[in-house]
Formats: sequence, C-alpha cells, structure tokens
Amino acid sequence: MPGDCHYLEGNANAKRRIEHIRALLGQIGLEPDRVRMYNLSSAMASQFVAITQEMAENIRTLGKNPLRNHNAPISKLESGK
Amino acid sequence: MIVAEQKPLSEIKTLIGSAEKVLVVGCGTCVTVCFAGGAREAAIVAASLRMSTKLDGNGKQVSDVTVQRQCEWEYLDQIGDQLKEVDVVLSLGCGIGVQAIAERFPDTWVVPGLNTAFLGLPTEQGVWDERCAACGDCILGLTGGICPIARCSKSLLNGPCGGSENGHCEINPEVPCAWQLIYDRLSKMGKLEVLMDIQPPKNWRTARDGGPRKIVREDLRLPAEEE
Repeated sequence: MPGDCHYLEGNANAKRRIEHIRALLGQIGLEPDRVRMYNLSSAMASQFVAITQEMAENIRTLGKNPLRNHNAPISKLESGK
Repeated sequence: MIVAEQKPLSEIKTLIGSAEKVLVVGCGTCVTVCFAGGAREAAIVAASLRMSTKLDGNGKQVSDVTVQRQCEWEYLDQIGDQLKEVDVVLSLGCGIGVQAIAERFPDTWVVPGLNTAFLGLPTEQGVWDERCAACGDCILGLTGGICPIARCSKSLLNGPCGGSENGHCEINPEVPCAWQLIYDRLSKMGKLEVLMDIQPPKNWRTARDGGPRKIVREDLRLPAEEE
C-alpha cells in the first residue's frame, strides 16, 4: 500500500513510472488507460477480484490492441516484425 | 556532461517525414547518463515509432543502434554500413552527434531526436542543473568555484544585482542567486577579500560572440604527409 511497501519506496517509484508509460502510450497513439496501477496487499483478495473485473471491463471497452496480429502465435508477436 | 531531453514523438515523426527506413542512433556517453539518448532510450523511441506509424497506417521499418560516442569519427565509422541502408537517421546524440553524422556521411539524411539543453550535472536523481556556459575564459578561480556566467541570470561579473532577494533570483524564486552563493562560499572559506577586486568587462570573443571556436594543439597533430 502507499507508504507501506515491502520494497520501501518501490510502489512510489512504480507509480511515477506508470505515469511515464501512460504518457508514452498517449504519444504513440494508444489509449493510456490500457495501463493502470492499483495498490493492493496480499490480504485483499476481494478487492483484487473487483479490480481485475474492472480492468477486464476497461479493456473490453477500449477494444483489442490494434497493433497486435490476433491470429499470430505468441512467439511472433514482437512489434515491427 | 552535455544535458539533453527528447523531442516529442509528434515532432520526431514530422522530422522523419515520408522516409520508410529509419535508424535510431543512440549515444553511449553524455545523453546516456542523462537518460535522453542512450541504448535504452533508442530502443524505446524505435519501438514507439514502429507502433505509432503502424497506427497511422504507414508502418515504418525502424531499427536502433547505439555507439559509444557520436562525436568521434572512429565510433561512427563502425555503423557506416547501417547508415547507408536507411532513408533517414534519427540521432539521439547531442547537437554535436547530429552534425558529426552529417559531416562524416554526406549522403545520409540525419535529423535530431533530442533538444540539447546545457552543460550541467545531476543535482539529485532526475534533476539536472546548468553549471557551465563554455565561455572560453574560465573565471571560477575568482568566484569560489561557482560560475556567475552560467548561473547568474545576467552573467554579472560584479554581483549581485538589485534583483537578488533572500538569496534567490528575481527571475524565479526557485533559482538561487549565483552571487549570493559566491558570497556565502567565500565568506565560509574566509576569502571575502577576493570580492574586493572589481572585475573588468569580460572579453566575450572567446565565447560564442567571437563566432565558431576552434582549438588546435600542434603537439598532438599528426605530421603532414610530405609530397
């Protein structure tokens, strides 16, 4: 949780980096909301389920990743190839 | 170090224009340690360009390579063959790196991916501050090791001016007054008498005002080939 990370300031660092990634996605032309960060502890199972469902619904709303060849096997999904 | 920051992706795409094959060239020196144009940033910019141009409907072939220093021929020569295979080179070096590529490879179209900002140092993680203006006639020996040329907004030689307030500059309350810093340091070191000498106007011919600068060291030059 914020201020109570097992890795001390780890989740605070991650939060800033996620904001950077979201800005980068926006510059690229993808929806920044494809990446979100939530703070959870290992004892918050019900919240984890709720957040997972929320994120799944968010992705359904945004649609499939337009950059991905959805018919390609996973090993061929490297961008630009 | 030379401190730079990346241009927005939209500007980079405009600079690349209609080129199909793009090579992003990172630099392993100054811009690596200021996180603007090293190998990691070159890979991120290349991936961003691949994704963004694909979304635009005109996916480009974008690859990346990083050399130890873009400002020396011997390192650039190592990627000479790669440069010939692309339509445009996006240099993530400083302005020197961009020009070095243009000069060494006259047939290569090269554009800048960075804005070269200043000569400075990281004062804390993620923060860089200007320290040197490369004026060509260093006066740090007169000012306790604090440069009024780079750090005083007016580059005063006999400061501070009336805009110094509570140790800060009138242009921005977050900018320390260089002359306050100089006074405090000299005072702490018991060398305030240094400030009793009035400095005459500076000879700016060694700075940019004298046009492009050049240093020739005869002791280091290779002997001219005899005909």
